[in-house]
Amino acid sequence: MGTNRILVAMSGGVDSSVTAALLKEAGHEVVGVTMKTFCYQETPSHGRTCCGLDGILDARRVADALGMPHYVFDVEEEFTRDVIDDFVTEYARGRTPNPCVRCNANTKFGDLLRRGRALGCDGIATGHYVRSDRTADGRARLLRGLDRDKDQSYFLWGLPSELLPLLHFPLGSLTKPQVRERARELELVTAEKPESQEICFVPTGDYRDLLRKRLEPRHPALEPGPIRHVDGQVVGEHTGYAGFTVGQRKGLGGGFAEPHFVISVEPETRTVVVGPREALEARRVRVDDLNWFHGPPEPGEEVAVQLRHRAPEVAARVVELSGGELEVELAVPQSAVTPGQSCAVFRGEELVGGGRIRRL
Amino acid sequence: MAYIYLDHAASTPMRPEVRAAMQAVEEEAPGNPSSPHRAGREARARLDEARSRVGRTLGVEPGSVFFVRGGTESDNLAVLGWARARRRAGLTPHLFHSTIEHSAVAGAALEVAREGCRVQTFPVSPEGRVNLDQGEDAATDSPGGLISCIWVSHECGLILPIDQVVGWARPRGYRVHVDGVQGVGRLDHGSILPEVDLFSLSARKLGGPRGMGILVVRQGTEIHPGLFGGGQEGGLRPGTEDVAGAVGTAVALELAATSREAEEVRLGELLETLEDRLRLAIPDLVIHGAEGPRTPHILNLGIPGLPQDLLPGALDLAGVGVSAGSACRSGTTGPSPALSALYGPDHAAAVAPVRISLGWNTRAAQVEEAAQIIIRTVEEVRRAFG
Repeated sequence: MGTNRILVAMSGGVDSSVTAALLKEAGHEVVGVTMKTFCYQETPSHGRTCCGLDGILDARRVADALGMPHYVFDVEEEFTRDVIDDFVTEYARGRTPNPCVRCNANTKFGDLLRRGRALGCDGIATGHYVRSDRTADGRARLLRGLDRDKDQSYFLWGLPSELLPLLHFPLGSLTKPQVRERARELELVTAEKPESQEICFVPTGDYRDLLRKRLEPRHPALEPGPIRHVDGQVVGEHTGYAGFTVGQRKGLGGGFAEPHFVISVEPETRTVVVGPREALEARRVRVDDLNWFHGPPEPGEEVAVQLRHRAPEVAARVVELSGGELEVELAVPQSAVTPGQSCAVFRGEELVGGGRIRRL
Repeated sequence: MAYIYLDHAASTPMRPEVRAAMQAVEEEAPGNPSSPHRAGREARARLDEARSRVGRTLGVEPGSVFFVRGGTESDNLAVLGWARARRRAGLTPHLFHSTIEHSAVAGAALEVAREGCRVQTFPVSPEGRVNLDQGEDAATDSPGGLISCIWVSHECGLILPIDQVVGWARPRGYRVHVDGVQGVGRLDHGSILPEVDLFSLSARKLGGPRGMGILVVRQGTEIHPGLFGGGQEGGLRPGTEDVAGAVGTAVALELAATSREAEEVRLGELLETLEDRLRLAIPDLVIHGAEGPRTPHILNLGIPGLPQDLLPGALDLAGVGVSAGSACRSGTTGPSPALSALYGPDHAAAVAPVRISLGWNTRAAQVEEAAQIIIRTVEEVRRAFG
């Protein structure tokens, strides 16, 4: 497929740097773009700038070294609306959001590609570890990355299906060590840059600060409420249910004979429900906010689902698919199936779509 | 097709005469101007001469000309240096600046506010009028403040009424600082310099060397240095002098001043042609700064309905180098603060700004071609983004 101009989303990390280099090597005309998503206020008192600005400057340096143009697009408005607001709303609803999924589905591929088209780009590339290909009948597919440790297909189930033919993922058949090695060979300034783990708009790692800033004062999600044992007994008080996620052990106080975990969060009563490990197990998963690349799976179909990033996939059977909701039965019960997190659905290597996990 | 560079307000290519003069200094006078030996004397002579030439061109005493590192340092030294001198004297100084200053002044103002200064801004209308009423109370409480005003907006080319600022300042005992970076060499500075206390300019915007600037400090103006060391530049800006840079600055300033009248007409005509072409082809085009007096080298377009930062990239790929505003804004998000201040934040968010700026080596054919490329690119981007 001859594509004449490809937009590369460059975060300033090693993966997207190598992505740009590989596409350039393959003879494509490449335009690097970094998204400005939030903050970037300089903090002179600390002598450095926060999060994103360093990324922008690194991306620019790499683009300069590769001899390709690089532009910065301000998508703060869109990112705030589609990612940050959703993140805050989800926690306020007692759920645990996947902001990267939202960003991919809306900002990174959607808003960026719209801008890319205005620059004459007819394709978009990122440094995700996933593969894209075409079937014999011309259907564009997304497949798991070959490096299973790095595979990022979990985060891409929400992409609008019409974008699939336009996507380029040159890292999908490489391993992370190979990518680092290429970066070193090319002497890219980002070659030794560490992985970013935290949520990009929560650089301190404490998302509750963000919730305090963005929710109205005395929002119930940030007010004290009961900690209730699954057996019905109130065993303590918490400082705001937004600080808890299913499966969490920290912050519950002690006094239990065996380890206790958050089993569920009930925003209606501001209750955090706790219990022993067994109570975390679930055999059924309900999913809404669905997205399918080429139509939904059939009821009764055997698929594989992935319920959190880096978790192994689980065999599952589609029990029901109606009213914009999917219910699957897991072959093996899973611990800490968390409302708000993603359920990515696979057929073999192929990502067919997914949705958000909801409370049963 | 050759790339068309129309971002002279960000950086103007060096004039060949400047390069030749600087090279001569490096070859003939490589010494340190503070050294007492022959090489030092030679360098000192060149530096003194450069200072005299700048003084002559600007119509000020050579002793009031201080070579500094670029326009930002000049603005910073003026604002911070004045404020610190006043605080040393035990005063709580009042700094009063326009809402459309360059970040070099606005940033320094934030810093002096942190240091305990009383800082206020005054609004500027799209017609280029200033309203200084808000400063009245502070001026009454603590006379002897500083009013800082940009002469020509670096974003839209609007010319501000410095005479009115001076007229306000004098009876109230205020000092006046003018950021003249985009004005010098493009407009007649003759009536301004004798009236102000502090005046900033950048050599690079005149076709001089990068990283050179001048701060004019009228004798008797309170100012405290920002750096300390060997006492160079009258102790105001210590550090071994860049003699070639100073000479290059002097030459660039002279060339800009002597060609100024002719260039004002030439660039003005080029810009008018460009504006006419664009207005005809893009009916909903907004020209920022059009309601007031404007410099002949900056044209700031507003294209409704497109994201803020898309057009400069699209134009770059199409072969025209322009900017979305000030080049120093990679660290911020959102619409231009200056356009927000002039036209309101809603307007600034609703149009995509494109700043086109011409310089000494811009030719008519380039402007004609750029007009066609801009028209075509705006159409394409709108089709793709719409």
